[in-house]
Amino acid sequence: MMNLMDLLKWIINLVFSPWLFVPLIFPGLVTVFIVILFIIWFERKLAAKVQLRYGPLYVLKQLGGAIQLVADLLRYLFAEPIIPESADKLAFMLGPIFLFAASYIPTVAIPVSKSFYAFRSDISLLISLGLLTFGPAITLITGWASNDKFSLIGGLREGYLTMAYEIPLFISALSMAALYGTMDLIEIVESQVGWKWGLFLNPIAAITFLILALMSTSRFPFEIVEAESEIVMGPFTEYSGILYGLTMGASYVKFYVLCLLFSIMFLGGWKPVPKFLSWSPIAPGVILLLKSLAIMVLGVFMRAVYPRYRIDQALRMGWHIILPMSIGSVFLSLGLLLWGVVS
Amino acid sequence: MTERPSSAIKLFDHLRAIGTGIKYLFLPRMTVRYPEEVMKLPDGYRGMIKYHKEICISCGLCAQICPANAMKMYLEGESQTSEGKAKVKRRPGINYTRCIFCGFCVDICPTGALEHVGIHDVAFDSFEAQLFKPKDFEKGPPVVEYERPPKLVRSKMDLRRGIIYEPAD
Repeated sequence: MMNLMDLLKWIINLVFSPWLFVPLIFPGLVTVFIVILFIIWFERKLAAKVQLRYGPLYVLKQLGGAIQLVADLLRYLFAEPIIPESADKLAFMLGPIFLFAASYIPTVAIPVSKSFYAFRSDISLLISLGLLTFGPAITLITGWASNDKFSLIGGLREGYLTMAYEIPLFISALSMAALYGTMDLIEIVESQVGWKWGLFLNPIAAITFLILALMSTSRFPFEIVEAESEIVMGPFTEYSGILYGLTMGASYVKFYVLCLLFSIMFLGGWKPVPKFLSWSPIAPGVILLLKSLAIMVLGVFMRAVYPRYRIDQALRMGWHIILPMSIGSVFLSLGLLLWGVVS
Repeated sequence: MTERPSSAIKLFDHLRAIGTGIKYLFLPRMTVRYPEEVMKLPDGYRGMIKYHKEICISCGLCAQICPANAMKMYLEGESQTSEGKAKVKRRPGINYTRCIFCGFCVDICPTGALEHVGIHDVAFDSFEAQLFKPKDFEKGPPVVEYERPPKLVRSKMDLRRGIIYEPAD
């Protein structure tokens, strides 16, 4: 009997140890799935409400169809994944799995609170951003492996867009790193004292980062890679079943990771924790999650507002407007340092 | 060469677009939730067609006027009776896979043997079930069964919001 209790205790300790809890439960895999299920449903509800209709309703009607996405997930799970005869089979099958993994792995470098993280590194911002850059390459591979014209065009579009968004994304993130004088996400949060959130210190970097987060995860108005009315589903045209479900989820996961980074860099992360909640160990994580969910809701709301840019318009925007803006944000950060607004 | 608006004006336009989206987020919905709410149909609505066999004179005008070839005349009755006299009559039948609900057949019928009824929401199990031969046609259109009695609504033009639906009676 005692042995069983010890075993249970050991398992609980194992699950709640940071190096397992962070990648697997929060902000890792389990939270990722819950966030996907919530945000896709909420996106459809928001778009429907703006268009004066209901959206998903009849699956669990009391909650407005809240578990519609669970039904969709079950459908994807039991649908037959068809692998085309002419596809490069290994790359075709592994592509979505690697894409999903590459989108979610950066969560390991994201700290949940001041004292709870999988590992502490002085370049954790760079690690999480760097791990995110695997995604576009894998998208290109899936587009090529499907051996289909729409997939190839979609993959090439992703390639073009990657050139346009990745450089400004890094520059605007690094401008914040220059402002705080560190690339450690924990120290970035800790140096945002009082009103001195990154959003108010360097709004140019915040706007740039948000626009580039939309662009890199093909949210509207930059839904160019998967433009449904032009190239069916872009690089994922040939996919079906759970493989398609993974490709669809991957962009949302990437957006979730970018929103976590956004709320850490610009919205003060897990601060401020209210006084009456300061005893609770989960309060900082919940605050971080709520902040990034708010940003995600803002991001998916764009679907209801915007049409789609053409590829050349998006590229022009990336190179002519966003890149100068991100370089400007670096100079703004340096100016703030020179004027002594932040120490 | 057209002049491009400056970036500042463009940014303002983006904000206005998002503002419009947020405004629409708080407007009431326009949906008629069909199985629970059903539109009350106006008089003279061109729904499915009812056939009164007893006043039909088998003239075949309905089949001639039909622009979609949905109405057709079928031979009915026995060609040889015991008296050795042919008692064949032509009767109209309708194919709802083709019908466009224009109502020409109802208008042209000289005796008024065809009439519209306010039924338009019927689901058929098979393609063949939508073909109404004269024998089925005289029985009238199928009856719509709802799970529970629906709420009747009426559409109305609103100057500010467009079409709105209000409960009928």
